[in-house]
Amino acid sequence: MLNVRLFDLTTLLFGAASVCYVAALYGKKDTIARVGTWICIIAAVTSTAAIGVRWAESYKMGIGRIPVTNLYESLVFFAWSVNLFYLFVEWKYRNRTFGAFVMPIAFITMVFAFTNESSIQPLVPALQSYWLHAHVITCFIGYAAFAVSAGVAVMYLLKAKREEAKSDGGVIGLFPPTKALDDLVYRSIIWGFPFLTAGIITGAAWANYAWGTYWSWDPKETWSLIVWLVYAAFLHARITRGWHGRRAAILSIVGFLATIMCYLGVNLVLSGLHSYGGS
Amino acid sequence: MADDKRTQSLMDKVWNFFTSLKLAITVLIILAVSSIFGTIIEQNQPMEKYQQVYTDASVRIMDALNLFDMYHSWWFLLLLVLFTVNLSCCTIDRLPRVVKIVRNPKTTLDEGLEKSLGLVDRWKKKGALDAWVEKYAEAMGKEIGKPRVTRNSDIVHLYAESGVVSRFGVYVTHLSIVIIFIGAIVGNVFGYKGYANIPEGGSVRQIPTRGGTRPVDLDFEVRCNKFSLTFYNDKFGNPTQQPKEYASDLSIIENGREVLRKKIVVNDPLQYKGIWFYQSSYGPTGAATAQVAVVDPAGGPVTGLALAAGQKTALPGYGTITGVDYQPNFQGSGPALLVVLEKPGQPPAQVWLPQGKPDVDRKRNDRYFFSFGGLTQGFFTGLQVAKDPGVNVVWVGCTLMVIGIIIAFFMSHQRLWIRLAPSADGRVEIVLAGAASRNRLAFEKKFEKIQDDFKAVSA
Repeated sequence: MLNVRLFDLTTLLFGAASVCYVAALYGKKDTIARVGTWICIIAAVTSTAAIGVRWAESYKMGIGRIPVTNLYESLVFFAWSVNLFYLFVEWKYRNRTFGAFVMPIAFITMVFAFTNESSIQPLVPALQSYWLHAHVITCFIGYAAFAVSAGVAVMYLLKAKREEAKSDGGVIGLFPPTKALDDLVYRSIIWGFPFLTAGIITGAAWANYAWGTYWSWDPKETWSLIVWLVYAAFLHARITRGWHGRRAAILSIVGFLATIMCYLGVNLVLSGLHSYGGS
Repeated sequence: MADDKRTQSLMDKVWNFFTSLKLAITVLIILAVSSIFGTIIEQNQPMEKYQQVYTDASVRIMDALNLFDMYHSWWFLLLLVLFTVNLSCCTIDRLPRVVKIVRNPKTTLDEGLEKSLGLVDRWKKKGALDAWVEKYAEAMGKEIGKPRVTRNSDIVHLYAESGVVSRFGVYVTHLSIVIIFIGAIVGNVFGYKGYANIPEGGSVRQIPTRGGTRPVDLDFEVRCNKFSLTFYNDKFGNPTQQPKEYASDLSIIENGREVLRKKIVVNDPLQYKGIWFYQSSYGPTGAATAQVAVVDPAGGPVTGLALAAGQKTALPGYGTITGVDYQPNFQGSGPALLVVLEKPGQPPAQVWLPQGKPDVDRKRNDRYFFSFGGLTQGFFTGLQVAKDPGVNVVWVGCTLMVIGIIIAFFMSHQRLWIRLAPSADGRVEIVLAGAASRNRLAFEKKFEKIQDDFKAVSA
């Protein structure tokens, strides 16, 4: 299928972009990082085209539906969102060092997707709903924002450690100032939080329309609530003294680990209603 | 009185405890961490199942801690109550202050305020004070909003603000959580969840409920006219095993009259008098029968038979016919039935009857030939039944929550002050100050631009 080949190409591009960003960091060459940005843009076009082609191909097979309904599709959609959110951040903050910490997340996601069944399967009756679109899109924009936040939080921790040691040289010296990193950790979360909230609400509305219960403490629901609570704690902690910087960065990383658990762990480890079509 | 004072301070302590941010963060984290248990330990399973997985001692401990139904346990509900009390107290404690700030903004830039603000700049301009007041009032109007002017003898204060509503975002969000809880309580107290299995052609008036002792009596009847199950076709147009649709054709019968009829599928329920019926499961009623037409090659159809698997059916003047096997895709050409034909004094004959070729048996040149018309299977439909009068309250809460979060995070209460005063050297001294409730980094940039623009304003 053409869409899968395009996604495979996207995987290579994400890998190449990650290599460029990391190499630029170590070689201190902005030119290489600029190449990384261009690769990200090409990857954005390729993956967007791949999603469109997959959508069109599903119609050609007579089972037309949005391509976000199994593990493979959700992984490529997540990587797609991370890439776009990253490009937005790079453009907004005019700093390419973030790429070395965010693009590998997109790359690893695509490699993981590559190991999964990629054929287009028809929708089981439970997923045949317009709520699917709103639910998946809101959730994944939220997840992507949290991924960016966690990547930047790692940068913050490295930079803060370096500053404590009072050495300014090396790769980490090129990072934006800690104040800017701390702010970006926070900004990404305040973008992610309303989307996660909307994702949980659309999921509840859908569950209510399909089963007559908006909340049944199923492991997926519960984990999405755990993620929500962690970020709610983060947002409240920010207002109190002493919770900027290091502790906030750690909470952001904890929040993203909970997000991964919610997104993948629940399906791979626990049982529930979101079995992603059994794949 | 000393005694009074102590009570007062104890009350204060309790109040401070319940309004503290520390409690909020602690409760959020405890809720998050404790919720994990219920996702690892499968909830609401029969005791025997737990005893297979865990040791007796751990089953006893987990049972004592209500870990098998933890989200409804007293301690989890207590946490939720604490959470609600905390956010309500925070609102009661802080909202009046915010209302006060909003209603009576500090419109004059006195020295105390000036010292407390991070963004302050000053410069001097030649000319008449009143002319500059007008100029800067106009400039502020363009940047933030029309300023309020306060005159204190010969000192003039300008104050403008925007995004006041952002101060209320957090309270809207907190209120939304309380509303969602109220909706959930209303649903739990006045609603119910039940289920109904209705065979095709059958109907129910009573709904057994989950957790309830007595079934709920409906004041109408629900009839299942038909249940149907369809599968996706593969690229050659043959049916696969992947289900495409579960559908129940339902009728609501009230006072002996059909008042509503709807075909429900998963994700498209039926609602009548606030009670919702959801397609949930299905199953067979009895065994399938094979429809077989008996045809006389000379004279046309003789009779139709419904064969139960393995049951010998007598055909007068011919012998017996028995359906012995069924294949959904026989030799790649769709469903077919294997029958055994027995005639007196003759060895039994086995014949495959493909559903797609009704005439194939004609070439046997027998007295009768047979054609297979398909399997008939009776089904029952499994419906979830729910009545939840609180659900719309929950949706109001959810909508408010999203609105509240967006207001709280994406709007900022921005304030700008200007103080104009005659200076000792005959010029006008201008002091500019600004503050934002959120996104201070962005406001700093905006303030810098305002600084430059305002300094460049000419007479």
